[in-house]
Amino acid sequence: MKEKLKQVNEFEWELDKSVRPRMNVKARIIANKKIVDDLDDGTLEQLTNVACLPGVIEPVVGMTDMHFGYGLPMGAVIAFDLEKGLISSGATGFDINCGVNSIRTNLTFDEVNSRLKELVPALFNTVPCGVGSKGKLRLTGDQLNQVLTTGVNWAVENGYGVKDDIEHTEENGCMEGADQSKVSDLAKKRGTAQLGTLGAGNHFLEIQKVSEIYDKEYAKKLGITDTDQVMIMLHCGSRGLGHQVASDYLKIHEQAIKKYNIWIPDNQLVGAPANSKEGQDYFAAMKCAVNYAFTNRLVMTQWIRETFEKVFSKDWESMDMHTVYAICHNITKIEEHTINGEKRKVYVTRKGATRAFPDIPALIAGTMGTASYICKGTEVAMQKTFGSTVHGAGRAMSRHAAIKRFWGDKVKKDLSDRGIVTQSTHPKVLAEESPDAYKNVIDVVDSVHGAGVSPKMVKLSPMGVLKG
Amino acid sequence: MGKKDKQDDQGKEGKTGKYRFIDDLTSDVMFEAYGKDLKEVFENAAEALFTVICQIEKVGHKIEKEIVVEADDTKNLMIDWLQELIARVDVEELFFSRFDIQKITPTILKAKVYGEEVKPELGETVVKAVTYYKFDFKKTPEGYVATVSLDI
Repeated sequence: MKEKLKQVNEFEWELDKSVRPRMNVKARIIANKKIVDDLDDGTLEQLTNVACLPGVIEPVVGMTDMHFGYGLPMGAVIAFDLEKGLISSGATGFDINCGVNSIRTNLTFDEVNSRLKELVPALFNTVPCGVGSKGKLRLTGDQLNQVLTTGVNWAVENGYGVKDDIEHTEENGCMEGADQSKVSDLAKKRGTAQLGTLGAGNHFLEIQKVSEIYDKEYAKKLGITDTDQVMIMLHCGSRGLGHQVASDYLKIHEQAIKKYNIWIPDNQLVGAPANSKEGQDYFAAMKCAVNYAFTNRLVMTQWIRETFEKVFSKDWESMDMHTVYAICHNITKIEEHTINGEKRKVYVTRKGATRAFPDIPALIAGTMGTASYICKGTEVAMQKTFGSTVHGAGRAMSRHAAIKRFWGDKVKKDLSDRGIVTQSTHPKVLAEESPDAYKNVIDVVDSVHGAGVSPKMVKLSPMGVLKG
Repeated sequence: MGKKDKQDDQGKEGKTGKYRFIDDLTSDVMFEAYGKDLKEVFENAAEALFTVICQIEKVGHKIEKEIVVEADDTKNLMIDWLQELIARVDVEELFFSRFDIQKITPTILKAKVYGEEVKPELGETVVKAVTYYKFDFKKTPEGYVATVSLDI
């Protein structure tokens, strides 16, 4: 498949719809040659699989960080026609509204670095991490339903976060049309005790320092003025509730695919016609999981603020600990895009991809030892990628291979030698998430920067990392 | 060597031939579980799953739960069984370490599972779900083999 890639320019490649039978549209890949050289055929085939789905709009997009995933690559964007398209629980994936929050402080590197060995364990005690940790909130059924339908508004009404956080969250932290009656009892039960928990895997809480500002004016608008400034990044999703919504509707959509007689090239891409009951029920339930995840991250944000208050003996407002922005990178939404010169509302599924609308921040999470970036969305993204960019570095090695190859304790020491303090539930997670198991985030971000999709604005380097 | 052994859990070949982890995906975990009959392959698949979720050898058996799963066919029965166990970790806040299938037909199973309350020091990682990726359940001359891929 790779030999069929046609280079359009330095950062853009295409797979024509003739490269295999039944493709309805072409595929576009945003990447430099180095990244393309490392792409495997399986990942490209997955991208051509989604190009075969009904009602898909040209092109399907593979982002620079794409790697083999379930059904479609992580790092992909697909748009579907509002009437003829498919709403696919398979394509949206298990971690609905996995995303990133960036929080600023006005503390300096020296101020925080000198207290890091106190701060990291304090945060570890405050933010439940990992599979064995217990959430501190136990929601009643009514409270959970409010979270599912009103998202971060519930959080702010209950003292977790402030109005300013809502304004700096994608979708204002609440997708309209979320219908809690479409979420199974089992999914709700899984969500009852997990609001305000980080989870595990590649999810993290990181203390960072601003290491480079590429656009001073833009950074200033985000409250970032100094390369010595300390920032916080939170990466996680909708936890068991979202995983259950996905699993429940995968089963429903497996039946729907048969019922509506839809051919799909891979049964992991199951879905239902956009206008069908099965399609709309999923969309309404998915929105609940989206709202839960936005709320989850804001609840933890408030606990992070409170921990800083204790460690630095100042209130969080005086440390300017405001949300810079909060984004999701696993979601299906209705958005307006210009298609063949005509403005149209379409479904956009971003699987491991970040919204990059003009002038709005796009947060790109690095790996444990490497930088993260705040980029800015552009008109180029609107034209080329349905207003989307990358979500992170993208894995280059399986977890299993990483565990065999790296020692958690060694990874911890290597990071420590570079001044990065880590804390995890056990060393293995550090091996799994070793920076060497990922693509080079600099190549990834330079590609979307060079392509004009999402120029980099601010570079953030890790100081302290907490993993589940 | 204690830590090394601990870290190597996912690499172990299943000392008694119960299951084996396979290096396949660029993001997650895959295993094959074996059994001479349905009861054994379902029990072994559950055990393999919980070596990913927790340090199963350190998890006791003091809490007992009953699980009943029904599905259209045996493939889906396996997926639903593992999925039910994943959900129970969140809902019951328990890690499981022993699995006793008491009754099984190609489409229904009844099991007693044993474990104890979740604790961070016993945890390994969060399994989000069982996926359809390369999922397989087949009969072999020796019995059954289930190939299962997990989203982490």
